[in-house]
Amino acid sequence: MKTKQSTKAGAPASFVSNNGDDLKSVSSQTLVDAYEKLRDQSEPSNGSRTYPKLCVLHGTAFEREKDRREVREWASRCPAEMQKWYEEARHQSCLWWLKNHLVAKRALSSCIACGVCTSQCPAAQYYGEYNPRAIVDAVLSEDEDQLVALLKSDLLWYCGQCGSCKPMCPRENNLMGLISSLRFLAQLKGYHLYSVRGRQQYAMRHLCGGNLWNRACTLYFRNPVAANHPDFGPRYAQYHSQAECQMVRVGASPDRPGQFGGRKLPPETLTEFRSCVAGGGTLALWNQLEKSASEDAEKKGLSIDEYHDRVNHEG
Amino acid sequence: MAVAATIPLGTIKEIPENDFFLTPSCILGVFNPGSEVLIGRIYDLLGLRWRAAGDRAESQCTCCTGFSSHGEVISIESTLLVAARIWSIAAELGIENITTACVTSYAIHNECLEMYKHEPGLDERVDRWLLQACGRRLHFPKHVVHASDILYRYRDVLAEKFQHRLVERRTGQPLRVVDHVGCHYAKVFPEKSVGGAEGCDVLAAMIRAWGGQTVDYPERRHCCGMGFRQCAIRPNRGYTMACVLKKLESMEPWKPDLILTNCPGCNVFLDKEQWAILQMTGKEYDIPTLSYTELAGLLLGWDPYDVVGIQSHTVPVEPLLDKIGIPFDPSKQWFSETSGA
Repeated sequence: MKTKQSTKAGAPASFVSNNGDDLKSVSSQTLVDAYEKLRDQSEPSNGSRTYPKLCVLHGTAFEREKDRREVREWASRCPAEMQKWYEEARHQSCLWWLKNHLVAKRALSSCIACGVCTSQCPAAQYYGEYNPRAIVDAVLSEDEDQLVALLKSDLLWYCGQCGSCKPMCPRENNLMGLISSLRFLAQLKGYHLYSVRGRQQYAMRHLCGGNLWNRACTLYFRNPVAANHPDFGPRYAQYHSQAECQMVRVGASPDRPGQFGGRKLPPETLTEFRSCVAGGGTLALWNQLEKSASEDAEKKGLSIDEYHDRVNHEG
Repeated sequence: MAVAATIPLGTIKEIPENDFFLTPSCILGVFNPGSEVLIGRIYDLLGLRWRAAGDRAESQCTCCTGFSSHGEVISIESTLLVAARIWSIAAELGIENITTACVTSYAIHNECLEMYKHEPGLDERVDRWLLQACGRRLHFPKHVVHASDILYRYRDVLAEKFQHRLVERRTGQPLRVVDHVGCHYAKVFPEKSVGGAEGCDVLAAMIRAWGGQTVDYPERRHCCGMGFRQCAIRPNRGYTMACVLKKLESMEPWKPDLILTNCPGCNVFLDKEQWAILQMTGKEYDIPTLSYTELAGLLLGWDPYDVVGIQSHTVPVEPLLDKIGIPFDPSKQWFSETSGA
């Protein structure tokens, strides 16, 4: 906490333009304080209170570095039994997980190999090599080697979590829940690094996880910038360029207090929300994802920011 | 193939009459904010008693974690705690009925409720964890329903208040509307949807009550392909586009005037990927996509830009307004550079 500040990092107000390496020598407390000061700086606008600095914080290397440190420290003083459970679960076998994880243990009762899950599956129609029954077979095999191979494969990451398989299964299996649970295990064990699609989870952790941790939402209205959504076309680019004004126009609350989209939550609500996230053991996953990403980045000769950008565009 | 009213017996769910706690949607708020705000406006119009945690100056209500849960970056226990915290806020307000703006939230809340039924001792554990985390206690809601359930219940009451109907004003013929029910509304817990997974009637009943004609087509129940980590990570979006293309190709022979959705994600991707599909295939489908609240708002005669916010859609909705006879001023669509946008 008393680390000398880097000359590279500059004054706290300029942290938003620094990369993760620049910020490494800045103390965690300084990072968190600078972030919260910017986050909670309000200004009156058209009779309401707004938080104009929010728009420069999201998705920055500053936010990611702050989150790495803050999450590590929260986890180190978090007494949650589920955090300990997940930290220990990563050292157990895949079979143990299937018998003990809250979702996995009830997801699959039996399979009559009717194939209806595959016939209904949009992912199986798109990805030629994908067949959800292969996942069922691997799980029912109770063969640890087969399960490890599955957890290291691309196959695990193709499911779109739509649940089209669920109402059709004559055994009422919860395949989407099973796959989700296995993906969680793959990340805890670091097996996701073997798959180009698994590695994308580091980007998901900082996109969705960053929004959860800092804004108590999964998607923030400034996330889907037009440059990252060429598939949405020029009309979307025009809309997004004036999204804040358009949201205010229809009664939403971008970067200001309110009930609907884009609202700024008060710090005490964010603290309650974070305590729930931590209490359920999620920080064990996030810390493990950081550790895996850091090791993989080093192996590939990349900085952690370069690694984050690469996995976001690979696949 | 026009579809008559069909709800299989035994699949008419119990939808509470009044007193709702409304939880917002991350995706709807980002992409179609007018659609989300319209839920409250329509509840008010119906005279319903409803609250959101944001009835205080600053909202205590948070994301349900659904997108992150299906993107596998949050544990199921964290999701259980976040849902329990939301239920606790509703209970503080004296409300037993949760209505969600998002279909994934709807499935998440229901999934959490189901887990307590099947996992002995889970309620005691979550209650203890919740108390430790934020000093709250576990209170189960009586009902978890989607906001489209409420509009379904009051579809005829709303129709009486409409200024317009789903009818082509020049010919007097009903407009042809395809419904696209969100997978997490009808497929995850089909027994909790209006009509089940295959015969889901929640949107089709609105279409009929509001003067339109529902149109069946082979890929009616196919997913829009949002896929959470599929749409969020750029290299995976081909999956989303392929799903949308499959649906558009399948519905096109029936010449639909409109795609009607109840899922925030479907409302985005069935609309916006039509541009990408035009670039890839040269085929211009140009089928407007609206949510059930956006459609209700337009038929009520509310301003298309200032209230409904149709400018957030990629496929222009104005041709549909022309067909129905809803007036609009296209100069109001965008803010000019000098107007402070």
